[in-house]
Amino acid sequence: MLDDYFRQYALLAIFAAFAVAVPTGMLLMSWMLSIMKIRPQKPSLIKQAIYECGFETLSGRWSQFNFRFYAFALIFVVFDVEVVFLFPWAASFGVMSATFGAFVLLEMVVFVGILVVGWLYAWRKGALEWS
Amino acid sequence: MGLENFLIVSAVLFSIGFYGALSKRNAITVLMSIELMFNAVNLTAVALSRYVVPESLATAGQNAGQDAAQFLLTGHIFAIFIITVAAAEIALGLAIVIAIYRNSESVFVTDATQMRN
Amino acid sequence: MTTHDIYLLSPEISMAGLAILLILVDLVVSRKSILTIVAVLGLAVPLALSIVLWFDLTDQAATQMKADFGTEIVTFVVDKFSLFFKFLLVGATALVILASSEYVSKFKNFHGEFFALILFATSGMMLLASTVELITIYVSLELTALPIAALAAFMRDSRSSEAGLKFLILSAISSAVLLYGMVIIYGFTGTTVLADIATQLGGLLDGESAFGGNALLFGVILVIAGFGFKISSVPFQMWAPDVYEGSPTPVTAFLSVASKAAGFAVILRVFYIAFSAEILSVDWSAVFAVLAAVSMTFGNLVAIRQNNIKRMLGYSTIAHAGYLMVGLAAVASRTPDADAIIGPSGVLFYLSGYAITNLAAFSAVIAISNRINSDLIDSFAGMARRAPFLAGVLGFSMISLIGVPPTVGFMSKIYIFGAAVDTNLEWLAVTGMVNSVISAYYYLRVVKVMYLREPIDDAPVGSALPMKLAVMVTMAGTAFFGIYPTPLINLARSAVDVLVS
Repeated sequence: MLDDYFRQYALLAIFAAFAVAVPTGMLLMSWMLSIMKIRPQKPSLIKQAIYECGFETLSGRWSQFNFRFYAFALIFVVFDVEVVFLFPWAASFGVMSATFGAFVLLEMVVFVGILVVGWLYAWRKGALEWS
Repeated sequence: MGLENFLIVSAVLFSIGFYGALSKRNAITVLMSIELMFNAVNLTAVALSRYVVPESLATAGQNAGQDAAQFLLTGHIFAIFIITVAAAEIALGLAIVIAIYRNSESVFVTDATQMRN
Repeated sequence: MTTHDIYLLSPEISMAGLAILLILVDLVVSRKSILTIVAVLGLAVPLALSIVLWFDLTDQAATQMKADFGTEIVTFVVDKFSLFFKFLLVGATALVILASSEYVSKFKNFHGEFFALILFATSGMMLLASTVELITIYVSLELTALPIAALAAFMRDSRSSEAGLKFLILSAISSAVLLYGMVIIYGFTGTTVLADIATQLGGLLDGESAFGGNALLFGVILVIAGFGFKISSVPFQMWAPDVYEGSPTPVTAFLSVASKAAGFAVILRVFYIAFSAEILSVDWSAVFAVLAAVSMTFGNLVAIRQNNIKRMLGYSTIAHAGYLMVGLAAVASRTPDADAIIGPSGVLFYLSGYAITNLAAFSAVIAISNRINSDLIDSFAGMARRAPFLAGVLGFSMISLIGVPPTVGFMSKIYIFGAAVDTNLEWLAVTGMVNSVISAYYYLRVVKVMYLREPIDDAPVGSALPMKLAVMVTMAGTAFFGIYPTPLINLARSAVDVLVS
């Protein structure tokens, strides 16, 4: 069974080898063609420009992001991390509910309820709007 | 892999974080250093939870037919609480940094010197 | 978790519920003055529940009721000690909210959030007084610290946000240090429950080195450093003056009274339960004695040259943290035949006296500086003519802060220095008295400026009704317990019984 488990990694190795081989092969082929004088070599300014998804580059790399991104990120982080409490709760739900009954479910309802109040608050205060 | 390795790594991380938090000028870097300190504590907590169980509780766990280290997850629970509280702390910190940035166009803590005695 | 556990937690739950209610009410109503009324009246619920719990304790003749979540881990107890702090915290919060009713009109919006954050912080402090387990202590500590950081930055101008950032960063660093200490103690003993830590330590201490072992020494020192920040003791005091000056004044009052009370509650709980072994308590009482002497001297000396009254009170609070730590240092194991509860009961008595006095001072400062738009001591010139009542209260509370009769400040200082003498810490009592004399210089300067200086402006300074109410209640408390402190002392003594068993 453990061998089966490690066999999964072989797929990953094949995939990685493929991912390395394709671009290397392309570069190698281009180099060989230029040695065999089949590929013309005529450098120009446009050919040597930085390539960014077909667009011309707009500004320097260290430009600042709009701070609204941070506001969204803050709200996301807070709600995202609270979810960590759901995992231990879900994992121990069976054991806990055998001892404590419906209280276990109720606890999580209260917890999520408080999160919902927070979300409603953020929504109502316009923290989820871009403008 | 002994307990010592974890404790040494976490002590080094904690010291780096502590140094960064006290010496860096950029408020964002300070918050990152603080996060490093919290994560060092998390590492210590989880490592201790794995390796250290008091004898009385260990026998209780063995009697219950469980591995003692799995029987008691106090350190893990500690770490989960630290992670969530630290996230809230950093979120609030960033919010205040944004407020300061709106006022003064600067994120350097050395520029935040309105008050001197 | 059972219904009985919820009953035990009900003061905290109702406090947090009230905070959520205020946010929701703020979303729907347009007249913001309703919020103050809702907040103050709503505080009656946690107060009433605490009173019910108190009488339930006496009826059942039990010293404490435990909430055990799970099988064996006790995280939360209700006893007279925690209820004492709950009364103190609810009272202080009510007074802070009354005193800020006028101040909040400065904010354009977010009135509901201001009160809600105060109440969230209070619920954290109430939890802090009741917890007997390290993880819960940490979570409640952060529940008090985070709302206070947001409150300090509430004005959103450059000073206020600077205060908020400083408080947040230093509080986060100190929490990390505290956590590291807690985790090491957890590693040393294998448990996070305070009572179990004490049992485990019983078999582990060797009695040779300080604190019975290097790991424990390291952990306890880190814990003292973390808590030292919360009560603004030297050398962890650097945040206090800046945060006190930059924060909105009601937040400063809240910080100096409630936050400090909660900090001492948890210190007493941790050190008297987890580290109660005799060879340990001798060690940590020595640490606290040194910190006490340094704190009071530093706070008083630096306070002398302050011009801003909030900043001056910030340094004064460092000095008072020093006086309070005298009570921590005065543990019974120093002397065999001493009164076992005199030290901790001194802390409780001093804390309540300091809370009443400081709230009186801050209410008067809020009332005056809100009208004249200045925190400088010099701008209080001639206030005796412009606002005779407020100036009288401020002067009276300054006298109480020095510790001159007939005020509660005098009684509590006598009591706590008496505790030091009883436990062979005469040098600490003498240091405290010398410091009280030094502090008279800067406290009396405020009185002198108000009564002897010519006013800058002749316009009288008035105040609104809730403000007057807050000032009068605190003033009456300062005077009453200064003349007849016996009920408060008895309450404090019965509250700490549970710590020393």
